[in-house]
Amino acid sequence: MMNRKYFIASVLGFIALLLVPVFTQNPYYIHLVETIMIYAILLFGLDIVVGYTGQVSLGHAGLFGIGAYTAGVLFLKVGAPFWLIVPASIVVTGIFGAILALPALRVSGPYLAMVTLAFGTIIQILINEMTFLTEGPMGLKIPKPTVAGYKFNEESFYWVVCVMLALSLLVVHRVLRSQLGRAFEALRGSPVASDCMGVSVYRYKVYAFVISAGLAGLAGCLYAYSEQYISPNTYNNELTVMFLLAIIMGGRKTRLGAMLGATIIVLLPKLLDDLEAFRMVASSLAVLMLVGAVIAVSRRRTTWQTMFVPVVGTAALAAFSFWLDNITDWRLSIFGLMILFVVYYLQDGIVGFARSLLGKTANSDNVIDLSAGQNQQGALVRATENGDGDLLVANQVLMQFGGLKAINQVDLKIKRGTIHGLIGPNGSGKSTMMNVLTGIYVPTAGDIAFAGRSVVGRTSSDIALSGIARTFQNVQLFGEMTALQNVQVGLHHTFRSNFLDVALHTPRYNKEEKAATERGMSLLHFVGLAELANEEARNLPYGKQRLLEIARALALDPQLLLLDEPAAGLTAPDIKELVQIIRKIRDHGITVILIEHHMDVVMSICDTVSVLDFGQKIAEGQPAEVQANEKVIEAYLGGTAT
Amino acid sequence: MEILLQLVYSGIALGMIYAVIAFGYQLTFATSDTLNFGQGEALMLGALVALTLVDRLGLNYWLAIPLVGVFGLFQGALVERIGVRPAIKIKSEFGWIMSTIALGIIFKNVAENIWGRDDLKFPSPLPESPLKIMGANVLPMELLVIGGALLMMLAVEFFNRKTIYGKAVVATFNDRDAAKLMGINTGLVITFSYALSSLTASFAGMLIAPLTLTGATMGAVLGLKAFAVAIIGGLTSGMGIIVGGIILGIAETTTGFYLSTGYKDVPGLVLLLLVLAVKPAGLFGKSAIKKV
Repeated sequence: MMNRKYFIASVLGFIALLLVPVFTQNPYYIHLVETIMIYAILLFGLDIVVGYTGQVSLGHAGLFGIGAYTAGVLFLKVGAPFWLIVPASIVVTGIFGAILALPALRVSGPYLAMVTLAFGTIIQILINEMTFLTEGPMGLKIPKPTVAGYKFNEESFYWVVCVMLALSLLVVHRVLRSQLGRAFEALRGSPVASDCMGVSVYRYKVYAFVISAGLAGLAGCLYAYSEQYISPNTYNNELTVMFLLAIIMGGRKTRLGAMLGATIIVLLPKLLDDLEAFRMVASSLAVLMLVGAVIAVSRRRTTWQTMFVPVVGTAALAAFSFWLDNITDWRLSIFGLMILFVVYYLQDGIVGFARSLLGKTANSDNVIDLSAGQNQQGALVRATENGDGDLLVANQVLMQFGGLKAINQVDLKIKRGTIHGLIGPNGSGKSTMMNVLTGIYVPTAGDIAFAGRSVVGRTSSDIALSGIARTFQNVQLFGEMTALQNVQVGLHHTFRSNFLDVALHTPRYNKEEKAATERGMSLLHFVGLAELANEEARNLPYGKQRLLEIARALALDPQLLLLDEPAAGLTAPDIKELVQIIRKIRDHGITVILIEHHMDVVMSICDTVSVLDFGQKIAEGQPAEVQANEKVIEAYLGGTAT
Repeated sequence: MEILLQLVYSGIALGMIYAVIAFGYQLTFATSDTLNFGQGEALMLGALVALTLVDRLGLNYWLAIPLVGVFGLFQGALVERIGVRPAIKIKSEFGWIMSTIALGIIFKNVAENIWGRDDLKFPSPLPESPLKIMGANVLPMELLVIGGALLMMLAVEFFNRKTIYGKAVVATFNDRDAAKLMGINTGLVITFSYALSSLTASFAGMLIAPLTLTGATMGAVLGLKAFAVAIIGGLTSGMGIIVGGIILGIAETTTGFYLSTGYKDVPGLVLLLLVLAVKPAGLFGKSAIKKV
């Protein structure tokens, strides 16, 4: 459902690109545009990693090199044809990507950046050393490809690159709008929530990196044919930093930004070769910055303090440009300064900046028709009922942090189809219990069986997929995604289609995506948020965010729903509505564990209540019994009830 | 056998240099969960400043050490103020990685313009004739590297454990928000940890300079290897980086001798990936439980 305007603009842009060789016969310009397009293909991929999943890769120049050398070696040593070399480059580079990503992404932190930086350096060394394959520093020469007897020339190969660019754009666009793209964005928005929605953070980070590596491989392969000569020194760390600069300068999470960024980094070195041009650009930048700052401050959009650094910075850059007499020596410093500037003052890139001027939000092209999913009947899937025994049995669970026993030998039996309250003073271990049940913590001792199967030691996403859904005490929504998209992340498990289905838009994918939109809308109807479906989650009021979390959790089709203080921060009428919703959920056969401080809520809807205090279970029973229990009164009010 | 022993000796010396740089990563990672991707450049600047002091100004090597240390402190503080602080404020991992890389690029380029692009010889403060230990040759400078590196790390550890300033550092390490509420100026502590980290790096630069050549490009690879050491040993374990450094150092000198000098940088990456695959917290690191 791509916006019509964008679609027409893309087609026109593509036609303009195709026509470049018709208008200019100058091979220099044709080659320049070709290089920009090749970089753009790589940047589409890099943006998936950097923009969407929020990881930093410093190894994309290395991957680019692998693609180029795969093409070169296959051609020279094996004599493989072009149509085989292209997919081979993609696959080989993808495999390298997997080798890097599988270990590096196991832990969160800057590990991927560190590992890929090392990889980038070492790949260069390896290409230099493995002379039997790569001819080392001498480099490889490969001619333009020949397909079915036709030998491509400079011009016709340009069109090949054009088509590849269009194909990559289409595939990336489709992937990012599918359940895969939603998974990538979700794991950045809230890793914990993704895992608890059955979207394994680790798996999809690796997935994103491998797709990204594949695109780098394709770009590398085309680059080899475009340059007709490849040598190890091209693929250095400076190029990697260039790629990253292109992504942030153009603008993250937009394809237009990637193309803009590619243009900038191809033209930038040319600009930095010419001192006069650089002086012009630096001076006009300083003037523009000053004028912009004056306007912004006079309109009270910002203060002098915040504008001080960029204004002085650009002025200093201009002064520096006139002091210089040889620009090539200082190229890298200028380049470094540009990165600093962009990282802190142009965070959303040029495209993001233009968008903010035009008052558009990033999600304005994700708007969907609100009429879908009016039918609420299918909102909830009835939990499978087999017997009415215990759905969840926790046995002597112990959770220890250092010397502190947050949960101490707790037994818990949750009967199928009931609402089970879990109450206790702050710090009594309720939320820790939730985290143990959903696999965020692994209990120090004890056992938990859910539907007859132990959950101890399984990953959060695995547990989630087996039927335990949850909400969070401190709301964990995917802030930059719309309400509907949030729910659709919960529906991730309904998708069977793979990368190819998504790329080709097979009937299977189309059917599943349509179903996910319908179902997502009906879930939003269920919690009363249908009108806000296109709103970004972070813009919703707090109470609505809590309801959205419930809708998202229900999308998992859970057997067991854990609600962690759903009424916190809700107004009295909202609470009434919430109670209705929880009842309806139970009526669909879904078992509910409810942590709540609003005692009226707990007492009115719970079938059984367990009370925790200092990590131990001090009472359990029907609400009225518990309410009268002396130990409970003591725990809540302090003092000794004698 | 003698050759092997000799390779082990120089491997240990090399490994200790890696360990000192990795120690610098640990210092800043502990206080702010960030690290300086331009740490190698801090080392390079330390070595080149020392070279100017010793070679140009005729200062004694030992007297130059504190001056280079002061330079390192300022360089580290500068990196933190310009590159890291704004990123911490906007909680952007991408921000600090990119800006420390950018600063590294700038430092390297400035160094190229000041000291030139050629590698320079650093005069050795100790005699250059090798000693015999258990039948194998050891340069006195290599012994200094090992001793100096250990001393440096012990001094910082002592500072952290025994002084009130050090306790502020440790408190910030344990819980940044709580430390802030206790009246500790955590921003200052983070700046200070960067200053300390560059101090150790420039000291490492001074130690290794007489053994290798000195030049603008000397830092990049060393900084990179130290990443590997920090991950292999564990980003939080002091013992880990020493062991990790020695393992990597020996792996490299032996690979360089028995296989080919061209491949000597390869074991680092392989070890790195293996450790991450098997024990992501590092050989000596404890996997922390992240509270939700």
